[in-house]
Amino acid sequence: MHVIQRENNEAKPTRILYGANLSHDRLIKYLDELKALGVIQETGTDDKVYSLTQKGIEFMNNFRKVESFASAFGFKI
Amino acid sequence: MEFIASVIAIAVAYQALRGYNLSKERTLLYLNLSFVLIGAGLLVDGLSDLIVLLARGERGFLFVFNLGYTINFLAQLLAYGLLVFAYLYQTRSPSSIALAALPVMFIQRNTLTELILIFLLVYVATQTAMNYSANKNVNALLVFGAFASLSIAHLFFLLYILIPTFFPLAHIAQLFGFLLLLAMLLRVNQPA
Repeated sequence: MHVIQRENNEAKPTRILYGANLSHDRLIKYLDELKALGVIQETGTDDKVYSLTQKGIEFMNNFRKVESFASAFGFKI
Repeated sequence: MEFIASVIAIAVAYQALRGYNLSKERTLLYLNLSFVLIGAGLLVDGLSDLIVLLARGERGFLFVFNLGYTINFLAQLLAYGLLVFAYLYQTRSPSSIALAALPVMFIQRNTLTELILIFLLVYVATQTAMNYSANKNVNALLVFGAFASLSIAHLFFLLYILIPTFFPLAHIAQLFGFLLLLAMLLRVNQPA
């Protein structure tokens, strides 16, 4: 999701694969899970492109706050 | 002042709980429990001080004062002990925190209780100082400042046993520490 957000909320599978340093099988598995959770969606007609849904954007904002809060105390998540 | 500090502590606990619900990271749960304990302890201590104040310091109410301090001390002992454990848990270093079996009786503020709290707080302040030196992040600086201030507050509580002037200074330092935590919370929750 970080990778998709970094790519202006639109990323092709290859970009996500290299950006997240995942194997192909893992990538497909995680993308399916994230789609099922409703935080990403598949767009694009010819080429598959993934983008964050509104729910995904809200999740990332909340996660960013949690990361900032935890790192202020020196805890990593 | 303790009521304000208590509210801020509960706000920090709430933020930690939100973080735990999102990430399921155990250290955030420990942080939540720690600040719930701190908030509860401060609330009880504040209430007991208020009761004694309203009773115009009648001798008969001295036990209420000591009861409030006892509960606050035990709550903070558990809370800061839990924070120490959270830092140790993060590094996964084998450790065990053996809490001394404290006699369950009303404790008066004394050198030993304050020294125990100072020891725990200095450890936590050191961890947060190391975090700030690694991250150079304003939020980390605020948290370090908060725990440094709380350590100083308890040092003042220790000195108050000898010199009464340190009592209000201790409360001011304590409140300042919690205000720094509030500033961190406000920064973290700023919209992106």
